[in-house]
Amino acid sequence: MAVVEVVGVKKDYVDRGAGTTHALRGVDLAVESGEFMAIAGPSGSGKTTLLNLIGGLDTPTAGSVKVDGRELATMTSAQLSDLRRDRIGFVFQAYNLIPVLSAEENAEYVMELKGVGSGARHERIEGLFERLGLAELRHKRPPKMSGGQQQRVAVARAIAAEPAVVLADEPTANLDQATGRALIEMMRELNRERKVTFIFSTHDPMVLEQADRVVRLVDGAVTSDDRKAGGAL
Amino acid sequence: MRTLLKMAWRDLWRNRRRSLINIFAVGVGLFLVLLYGSLVGTVMRAKDQLDDGGMGHIEVTAPGWRQHRNVRQALENPKSTVTGLPLPPGSDVSFRVVSRGLATSARGSKGVAIHGIDPAIEATVAAYVNKLRAGKPLAADDERGVLLGDKLAEDLRLQVGQKVRLMVQRADGEVGADLFRVRGIIHPLSPALSRSLVLVTAAAAQRTLGLADVAHQIVIQLPLAAETDAVAERLRTRFGERAEVMTWGQLMPMMKVLEDMMGVLITVISLFVYGLVALGILNTMHMSVLERTREFGIMRAIGSRPRRVVALVMGEAFWIATLGVVLGLGAGILLTKLGSGPPVLDYTSKMGESFDFAGMVMRSRFIIELPLGESLRAAALVYAVTLLTAIYPAFRVSRIQPAQAIHSV
Repeated sequence: MAVVEVVGVKKDYVDRGAGTTHALRGVDLAVESGEFMAIAGPSGSGKTTLLNLIGGLDTPTAGSVKVDGRELATMTSAQLSDLRRDRIGFVFQAYNLIPVLSAEENAEYVMELKGVGSGARHERIEGLFERLGLAELRHKRPPKMSGGQQQRVAVARAIAAEPAVVLADEPTANLDQATGRALIEMMRELNRERKVTFIFSTHDPMVLEQADRVVRLVDGAVTSDDRKAGGAL
Repeated sequence: MRTLLKMAWRDLWRNRRRSLINIFAVGVGLFLVLLYGSLVGTVMRAKDQLDDGGMGHIEVTAPGWRQHRNVRQALENPKSTVTGLPLPPGSDVSFRVVSRGLATSARGSKGVAIHGIDPAIEATVAAYVNKLRAGKPLAADDERGVLLGDKLAEDLRLQVGQKVRLMVQRADGEVGADLFRVRGIIHPLSPALSRSLVLVTAAAAQRTLGLADVAHQIVIQLPLAAETDAVAERLRTRFGERAEVMTWGQLMPMMKVLEDMMGVLITVISLFVYGLVALGILNTMHMSVLERTREFGIMRAIGSRPRRVVALVMGEAFWIATLGVVLGLGAGILLTKLGSGPPVLDYTSKMGESFDFAGMVMRSRFIIELPLGESLRAAALVYAVTLLTAIYPAFRVSRIQPAQAIHSV
């Protein structure tokens, strides 16, 4: 069953001065559970817009987006919040941790929203931090961490609440190559171990190399959809 | 909730200077309102006015007595009457035999107000009974002793132990006179009482006036001034046509008007000060929230409902209000401690210790005091104003679009 289903999605941005920008021009996409896929394309091709629409952070001008079989267009703002909390994890290009919370508190945040008890939260975070090499950083706040460290915490936050799908918007763009590679390998392992679906937007060749499926966008339209033989599917 | 309050607390200190200005504004605003209220309260504190003037929240007299002060218009069996009154616990009640008269000493004569009292119970409603400048208190069974106001004693050049003759018009219309000895000289704050008051025992007054066991005034002080009208109504029902029941607002209309005016003035000043504080907080909170649009967008993106980000902004307002209240009340308490020593305003050199104004006794030294109830009310108002002010920025935050907010700078 498709965990994400995008049908005929268009997204226009209207700027009074510059006119209308067609960010997406009728995109169709189905993502099955457990996929490790990348959306590739040059800057301005609509990758981030597509991820935002899948995550319910933005609304399409036309078309339909379903997550777990639920049509996002019919959901209220609070219902979308609940869907993101329960089913979707986000990793952003600029890490986007909450600066006043420590690494541990950031990672626990979504679980707390879900009402997971503090004992269970600590237990889950302890294992995850150990796994991601963050044990020493538990009490550090984001401004005192390196980019790579912050991105690992962001990954921990995204997967701690055990979402159905993780949306990662250019997660390696601000990292050096070695750190970026380590991060992608780590996410790949999580994908294999926990069967978490990952959808990346990227133009990083290293990420594309790791992905089982690569969907290419150019000027807001899908130009190719390639699956690796022997991939996750 | 704990996490939200923790986040709000930490957010508060991200821009230390701005938050301190906000907290300071709230604290100073509260302090100014308390200070103003305290000064006005010092002037208008009704209980002191009543004590110093020997008045009550309620006075009961025989019908018509107040217009003509005819000694024959009196209430019978005052002692048993006052013990059976339907009063709230903690009320003080006294009765007086009242007459005008002439006091004569070897050095001169003066018109006086003679109050026949039970000294022990009168002291509960009239502070001056125990304010002795010289001599000793009046004993309950002393039928020949008097206490004189200090200015009166000075005018008549009387000292403790000397004789004074009191001349009155008796109940039978004849002129009556009695010889008394000065037991003590008292110091009423009211200059009028100081110049004219003569205290004798009720029995002595009744004897001199040719009256049976009667009194002209029953004076009642209540533990809560707010109960005055309700208790007065009960007493009117109780006495019916046999007595007139008057409240302090009816007896001293000017004081009532002044108190009402001061209440309005305090409200207006409070609204003005809190309004300024609110505008300052609104401006800085709005700025603070706009600067963190991206963070609120992240919170929304990862699953926070709109009401949670609203609660975060309100949490910051809560901390600003709490710290502001601590600062404002702290400054108020500190100043009260200091203010109980030197007065804030002191007109004693021009007005003496006190002055009479529209039937009231005004002290010439204004000392700061913060009554607990009023301070807590003002603090609650600060919380309300600060939280109300935060509603608009919180509402703005709740309406943000996560996708736009995350990509805002």
